[in-house]
Parts: sequence; structure tokens; C-alpha cells
Amino acid sequence: MTSATSRSAVPPQRSRALIWIRRNMFRSLLDGLMTVVFGTLGLYLLVRSARFVFVNARWEIVEVNFKLLLVGRWPAEHLLRIAVVIVAMAAWGGLIAGWISGRRIRAGLSFSSGSGPGARIADLTRRFGLIFGSVVLMLLLTDTAGPWLMVAGAVVATVLSLMAGRWLGKRPTGSPWLTRGLFLLVFLVPLVLYFYMVDAVPLADWEGFLFNVLAAAAGILLCFPLGVLLALGRRSELPLLKAISVVYIELVRGSPLFVLLLLANVSLEFFVPAAVAPSKVVRAVVTFTVFTAAYLAEIVRGGLQSVPRGQEEAAKSLGLSPFKQTALIVLPQALRNVIPAQIGQFISLFKDTTLAGLALGILDLLDGARVVTQQPDFRGLGLIIETLVFAGFLFWVGSFTMSRESQRLERRLGVGTR
Amino acid sequence: MLETKRALIGLLSVMMLLVAACTSTEGESETTAPATGETVTTGNGGSESTGSMLETVLENDMIRCGTRDALPGFAVLQDDGSHVGFDSDFCRVIAAAVLGDAEKVEHVDLETADRFTALQSGQIDVLVRNTTWTASRDGGEGATFLTVTYYDGQAMMVAADSPYQSVSDMAGSVVCVTKGTTTEGNAAGESARLGLDWEVRPFDDTDLLQEAFLAGQCDGWSSDSSQLVGLRSAYPDGADALRILPEVFSKEPLAPAVLDGDTEWAQVVNWAIMATIQAEEFGITQANVDEMLNSEDTRIRSFLGAEYTDSDGNVTVTDPGLGLPTDFAYQVVKQVGNYGEIFERHLAPLGLERGVNALWVDGGLLYVPPYR
Amino acid sequence: MTTTAGPSARIPFYRDVRVLKWVFQVGVFAVVAAVLYWLWGNYRVNTESSGIPTSFDFLGQPTNFDIPGADFSPQERVQNAYVIGLLNTIRVSVVGIVLATILGILIGIGRLSSNWVVSKLSTVYVEMVRNLPLLVILTFVVLGLVLQAFPRIEDAWTPFGWLVFSNRGMGLPWYQEVSGLSLLVLFAFGIGGWWALARWRHAVSDRTGAPARSGLYGGTFLVISVVTGWLVLGGRIDLPTVDGPRVTGGIGVDPSFFAVLVALVVYTASHIAEIVRGSIQAIPKGQGEAASALALSGFQRMWNVILPQAMRIAIPPLGNQYLNLIKNSSLAAGFAYFDITNVTQITVGNGSPAVPAFTLALMFYVALSLITSVFVNIANRRFKLVER
Repeated sequence: MTSATSRSAVPPQRSRALIWIRRNMFRSLLDGLMTVVFGTLGLYLLVRSARFVFVNARWEIVEVNFKLLLVGRWPAEHLLRIAVVIVAMAAWGGLIAGWISGRRIRAGLSFSSGSGPGARIADLTRRFGLIFGSVVLMLLLTDTAGPWLMVAGAVVATVLSLMAGRWLGKRPTGSPWLTRGLFLLVFLVPLVLYFYMVDAVPLADWEGFLFNVLAAAAGILLCFPLGVLLALGRRSELPLLKAISVVYIELVRGSPLFVLLLLANVSLEFFVPAAVAPSKVVRAVVTFTVFTAAYLAEIVRGGLQSVPRGQEEAAKSLGLSPFKQTALIVLPQALRNVIPAQIGQFISLFKDTTLAGLALGILDLLDGARVVTQQPDFRGLGLIIETLVFAGFLFWVGSFTMSRESQRLERRLGVGTR
Repeated sequence: MLETKRALIGLLSVMMLLVAACTSTEGESETTAPATGETVTTGNGGSESTGSMLETVLENDMIRCGTRDALPGFAVLQDDGSHVGFDSDFCRVIAAAVLGDAEKVEHVDLETADRFTALQSGQIDVLVRNTTWTASRDGGEGATFLTVTYYDGQAMMVAADSPYQSVSDMAGSVVCVTKGTTTEGNAAGESARLGLDWEVRPFDDTDLLQEAFLAGQCDGWSSDSSQLVGLRSAYPDGADALRILPEVFSKEPLAPAVLDGDTEWAQVVNWAIMATIQAEEFGITQANVDEMLNSEDTRIRSFLGAEYTDSDGNVTVTDPGLGLPTDFAYQVVKQVGNYGEIFERHLAPLGLERGVNALWVDGGLLYVPPYR
Repeated sequence: MTTTAGPSARIPFYRDVRVLKWVFQVGVFAVVAAVLYWLWGNYRVNTESSGIPTSFDFLGQPTNFDIPGADFSPQERVQNAYVIGLLNTIRVSVVGIVLATILGILIGIGRLSSNWVVSKLSTVYVEMVRNLPLLVILTFVVLGLVLQAFPRIEDAWTPFGWLVFSNRGMGLPWYQEVSGLSLLVLFAFGIGGWWALARWRHAVSDRTGAPARSGLYGGTFLVISVVTGWLVLGGRIDLPTVDGPRVTGGIGVDPSFFAVLVALVVYTASHIAEIVRGSIQAIPKGQGEAASALALSGFQRMWNVILPQAMRIAIPPLGNQYLNLIKNSSLAAGFAYFDITNVTQITVGNGSPAVPAFTLALMFYVALSLITSVFVNIANRRFKLVER
């Protein structure tokens, strides 16, 4: 009896794995062949990349040029400002995230105590573990205490402001001034921080990964008004307005960003008074703004189309003016629906900022990755792979995390399900 | 929900404000940049006043000189942010002549492709970036070229272990050049002239070209011979891995350039450059320039701006009315040196010889109008 | 509120919506026109003050540069260089679109495969490549793959003497030209045969109910007739060889073309794979189950039932990816491939005025984009018509 049970208890466990393998890898002859071929290929690539990363790669080129790659030739005495800005932005982001989640809790849309702390930590690890891991990795590449302190500060600031924001959001709204103040804060903080940084180092000298991140952020923020206007213009019944918008959108969307950047590089100064000599960074940001506005317009147009007609009709029946119909009823719903698509546009702009290095000669992360291989110590050693892997990794972690978050947001917003 | 709406109105009004700013995006964001970046002087281009660039330069008390950052011998950016090289010294020569201080130069690094636009847009006052003087650049790029500082010619560099001994051996080979320069046209022209059927490959920058050359994508590397000497000296496999073929197959007079239509400024820069050549002809060096102030030769004293007695017996100082201080030649030689000294300092260490860049009295091409 | 205003009361013009609409439009138009006029004025002033030409006369000037891999001399006019650049852009785009579509569909299907290894590998590929900047991939292919992993011309790899691999270029076997006309006749004959065969097969199919397979029959006929005809006419295959410093014979693949093509295909395929996956997932599960119930094989289920429906959903986003690929091909300019952007850059470096030259290049891209969207729209309509 006992032997029988043990016999029947053990084999199923082994065979369950076998069944799984059989089902998922060797369903048919062809299937098995594919498993063998692609499995070998996958293993080979895995082993090769692992060997490269852990054995063969000479990471000292990245270690030596770490600062150059991240912030370019930013003066060492002003590095503190970057740290301050990062901590402040962490607090800023935490506050907004906390406030939103607090309001959701108050509205009964989600419950903070819905899942245990273990599950929450697991969730956060899954979502932000990659970013966190790469931050730690980069900290290990530095040799001073400053960056550690900065990261610690940023983590503490995020947690504290998250809690503060949630508390504020959960409170039944007493005075509208609180909301207004918060909105003002959302706009003012980045602006103040920008001036804080530009005060030390002029915009023209922002380089490295810092340039990539900030140019993308500036492009997506600055293009917003123009993009929304173009979207409204394209949908409007006013023929002249519509024509202008369509021409702008189609012309820009038909042009490659790289060529626009080249054009900006050699000819922007012809189109502004001679007294203004725009720096390369400004040229890049202007081009990103002009370019992204057309794409944002199409995204927002999609959002506007997704708002049911009834909404506008209801607004009309309430006697709202056409401006109020759009500004208060239609646009907010449209913009809410297109947040994921906007994040997608941001990701693509973030990746496209590398073009500025090639077209304008800005020392961005990718350009830096190419330049440092020419240093006397590393010349002719073929270390371009190492620096490219490092640059690629940073871009990859950023866009991968953002794209996953945007998918999550898409599900949560329930785009298309309402 | 009322407060949300109100907040949204606020948000929208902020957005509208931004819109107002954004419809003229181009103008708006540029004007903010120089304003916030007052520490750099790249802002205000010179054409606000209708006067000469000379006034602007004197007003700014600084010369913005278009240069490059990584051409050994001509202009190299040092760790501490300073520029060293033949071209960089000529920027200093202009500053010493005009402003009396050789260090009042802002060296603006330019890419090959946008050097002329920088000049046209007033981003720089003078371009000293080993640029070849050609007719179409004189005509089409709005540049006025001045006295040639270096007579160069295009040459070919090959791997030392390659079988090529002369350019005509290289039939059917792949010749690499950098993009957007006169070298492309010269290489293509030479190939057509000798019937060699070269494949001329232009690369975006020297680094990329060097990678391609190292990997064996090119048989020949063609550029101005002065550049090749510099690039060879910094080659990763060592200078001995490369060989420069004897032929020179183009004329490349490298000259500083200023913007068309400003004769006064052009003359000032021109005479500042020519002073170095004249000084060498007179035998005035950085070391003996103070002695030379008391020279017996009135031509030398006149040149250096010292007092001398003219044929009528009057004690006088020569002022040809160029708009330069009378002692500009003294300042140039004292602070930077004469042509020969500048050459010895930067180009001789690379292995370049004077050749055609010798004084006319020595059989070279350097000949300047007399200073009187 | 409105009761006070009777129907006879005229609305003052400043409250009249029709008037306001036009005033608003004219206002906006005036602002736009003013901005454009301001820019144009600046351009005129700035170019005149520095004596830069603003016309397109430069197109008639000699180029003074050479285009590798093309029959081109430096004495030719700039406009001819533009034509070659445009053709090169089209070439890399067309080949890229075809290959990226094939690879993308395979990987997209692979992600949904029941085979664990295949689906994981596809997922890793898509997530990896999609989130990298194209320029990183392109730099990697140029500097890491073509320059470092490919053999030098002296040690060129020539498997079976049919192919040549080196970092100076690759050679593939290619037909030796017999004559353009005879080839045309052969193709016309083959296509005529295809049409006749297709009619016959459809008739058989209508009569007996057997599968028509007109494409299979017709295609085979076309290939066989063209190949035999060409052999009879004395056609031979031209094999590539290493001839000193270069690869000659056959059809040469320029290393920069290869690098740009690989980067564009790898990058775009990752995006196409996502579109294909999304479209397949959007097909009701019942379709696949019904196909299985009809005892169709896995391939038949995919090829005859699911993919045709999925492609209908996929066409508009696919069109966007094609447009992106065309525009992204401009990056080739940074890596020595003579596309239209590179030609423009070089001609500007050789003295052509920047603004007209780049405007021309932009116009070409806009035109290419418009043409591509027309094709995509046609395809979209056709697929829609097939539906009902």
C-alpha cells in the first residue's frame, strides 16, 4: 500500500515537468526541431553575452568616463545642483503620485489596504526593480559618497512626499485654494529647478545623458500647447484653421527628424534676427518641439474622437460657450484617454534625442560613447562595444520601464472600455 | 468636482499663455537662451550696429575665433579648456594686434560642415580653421579670405605594409576622405585624371574614418598633407604603421576668413597676420623684439611702432590708418612670435618642413606688401 | 434668458457666430502669416547681408564629389546626385520594408507560439530591440559588426565561390544581362502564362471543388519559363570575386548599405512584430478553434484563416511603420551610405546653399511619405472590400 502510494505520488511530480516540457517544447517533430534550433541559438547568445559582460568586457572605459557620459563637461563644483534637482524632482513626482492615489482612494476607486505589504513590495519590485537595480549598478561605478547620498535623499524624499501627497489627496477637499496651490506647485517646481540649474551652467553646455533626458522632457512639454491647438484646429469646422493645421501636421510628419535637425543646424540662424545665435541645445529642443507637436496633434485628435458626441451635446444643452465646451468637457476627457499614447510619444522622443548628437554634434550619451573610444588610453582597442552597451542599457531601462508603466496605466484607465 | 473644474481653467489659462509663447516658438526659446547664458559670449552677433566688426570687437574686448578642437598641430583642445596649435596662435595674433592682449580670444569649436554658417550668422568674428581658399567659397559662402597662413596640398596616406609606392599604383582602390571638404572633389578629380577608378568614400568624421581604416575598409586615406602628418603621429598603431605617399595633388591654401562686405575688419585681420611674416623677414623674434625697438633700421622701428626720424628730420610714429594701434606689430611678436616661431612651435614637431611655406627671400611663397 | 430677444431682434455683429467664426479664423491666419513673414524677412535679410544664394541654381552646378558604387563622375550636375541619392533611399527603404515585414510577421507569430522556447526568444527580441534607440543599433552594426566581425578583404570569406563576405563589401551571384528586351518578353510570356493557368485552375476549382492554387501553378510557370528562356538565350550567372582591393562581379552589396539595411530591418521588425501580435490577438478565438475543428493544419490555420483577418487590422499601423522606416533611413547619412540626406549634406559642404538644398531633400521625403500612404490606403481599401 505504502509503496503504491509513494510510487504514484512521486512519478506524477516528475512527469508534470515532463508533461510541461512535452507540451511546450516537443509537441510535434517540427516543434521539437524548432526547440532544439532556437534553444541552441538562445543558449549560445546567452552564454556569449554573459561571457562578454562578466569576463571579456573592459568596463574601465565606462568607469573612467562615467561623469562625461552622464552629464558631459558639467563643472564639478556645480554637480551638487544636479543632485538637488534630482531629489526635488523625486519629491515632486512622489507628491503628484501620492495625491492622485489619495484621491482615488477617497473616490472609492481603489483601496490602499487592498493588498498586504508583501504583495505591494513584490509589485513595486516588478515595476521599478530594473530602474532601481541599474541605479545601484551605477552607484557601484562611482567612487565618491555624493551619489549615494543623493540616491538615499531621493528615495527618502519620494517616500515622504508620497505619504504627504496621499494624505492631502484623501482629505475631503475643504478650500479650493489647496487644489490651486497644488496645481501651481506642479507647474512652478520644474520651472524653478530649471532656473536653478541654468543659473550655474548655461543651457548650451548641457551634455551627456542629462541632455537626452531633459531635451526629451522639454520637447514633450513645450510641444503640448501647439499640439493641442493643432488637434483642435484639424477637427474644427473652420476651413482656414483646418487647412493650416493639416498642412503643418502632414508636412512635419512626412519629414525625418534627422533631416530637420540637420536643417536646424545649418540654417536656423537665417530665420531669426542676426543678434540671436541659438546654441546647439536650443536648436535641438526647438526642433524636437516643432516635430513632436505634429505627432501629439494626431494623438490628441484620436483622443478627441474617442469622446462620445453626447458629451459635447450635453455641454451645449447646459448653455456652455463653444470655448467652455471644449476646454471643460471634451478636452479633459480626451487628454485623459491619450495619456498612454503620450507616454509612447515621449519614449520615442527620448530615444530620438540621440539624433541630436549625430546631427548637431552635441556631446550626448551616444555621441560620448563614440568619442571616449578615441581617448589616448583606449584608442584602437575596439572598446566601442562596451560604451555602446552601456549607453544602450541606460536608454533601454528607461524606455522599457516607461512602456510597461504606460501599458499598466492603459489598463487602469480602461481606455476603450468606457 | 467644482474645484477640479476651476483648477482646469487655471491649467488651461496657463496653457494658453504657453500657446502665445509657442506660436513663435523659434524666436521665443532662442531669445531666452542667450539671456540665461550670459556667462558665454556666444550671444549677440555683431551686426546690430551698422559699423564695422572692428567696433564690435573693441566693444566686446574679445575676439571670437572659429577653430576646431582636435587637429594635432593646428588646434587641439587641452584638458584645461585652452587651445594649442598653429591656427590657435593666429587667433592670438589677431587679438594681440587689435586688443593688445593675446589672451582675449574666445575659441569657438566648429564642425567642418557648419564653419561657414557660423561666420555668416555672426557667431564668430573670424574663421581660422585651416580652411582652403577657393573661388566658390569666396563667392557662395559669403566669406572673404585673407593672407594665406599655410600653403598645403592634398596627399595620400597608406598602410606602411601596403604595396603602394605612389598614387598611380593605386588603381581600383578604395580611398577614404572626410565629408563636406574639398578633399572629396580633389580625390575624385585625381582619380579621373590618372584614370585610376578609385572608390572615394566620404566619412562623417575623422574618428569614424580612422575606425574604418584600422578595420581595413580603406586602402588610402586622403587629406591635406599637414593633417595627414598630424593624424599619422596620433595613429593608435603608431606612426610607423602608416606611410604618406610623395605626391601632392592639389593646391590647398589655408587662409583665415572674415565675412564679406567689411573691408575695414578684413584689412585689420590681414595686417595682423602679415605682421608675423614681416617680422620674420626683419629677423624680429619674441626674444629680440625689445632690442629691435631701438634698431638702427628705421623700417623696423616704423614697423614696430617706435619713434623714428623721417627724411624731413621729424620724430614720428607710423600710423597707416588701418584702425590698429601703432604698436600692434610689437604686441604680436612680443606676445605670440613671428611666423617662423609659430611654425617651429606647432608644426615642426609633427615633422612638417617649411617647404613652400618659407619666406620669399628663402625661395618660398611667403611675400607680404611692404609696411610703409 | 433668450425670451427677451425676439426673432425680429437683430443680433449685433460682434455676437453673431458666423461673423465671429470668420474674425477668429482671419485672426489666426494673420498671426500665422505674420510669423511666416517674419521668418521669411529674416531669411532674406540674413542671406543678402552675407551674399548667400537663395535660388535653386546650384542644381545645375557640377557636384565635385564622387558617389561610390554608382556610375557617377564629379563633373555631373548636383541634380543628378540628388537623383542617385533618392534612388538609394528608395532602394534601402523598399528592401528594408520587405525584409522587416517578413521578419516582423515571423517574430510576431513566434511570440504567440505554443513553443515555450520560440515564444520566449521572440519576446526577448521584441522587448530588447524596441526599447533601444535606432542610432545605438546602427552604430553597433557599423562599428561592432561590419568593421570588426567581418573579415578584411585580404581574408574575404568566399563560401563555395558563390558568395563573398568582407568588410569592404559583399558579393552575391547575379544574372548576367542578356538583353533588357528579351528579359521583358520572357516576363511578359511568364505572366501571360500565369494568367491563363489561373483561369484554368479557377475553372477546375469551380467544377470539382478542388483547391485552385492558382498562385502556386502560375508562379511555378513564371519562374520556370523565365529561367529556361534565359538559359536558352545564353544567360549565365555572374559570380562575385575578390579583385584586388574590391569585390567585383555578381551584385555587390555596399557595406554601408548592408549596415543600414540590417539596422533598419532589425529595428522595424520589432515594432511590426508587436503590431502582428496585437492583430492576431484581436481575432476572435473562435476563428482558430473553427479552423482546428475543420482539421486544418497549424500552418493552414495561420496562413488561410488567422493571418488574412489579422492583416486587415494590421494594415494602418503597418503603414505607419513603413513611413517610419523611410524616414529613419535618413540616418544612413551618418554612416557613409549615399542616400538623399547624405547627398544633401555633402553638396552643402561643397558650397551649395543650405536652405534650398535641405528644403529639396525634405520635399522628397514628404513626397515619398505621401506616395507610401496612398499605397497603404489602397491596400486598406482592398482588404476591406474583400471582407464583405
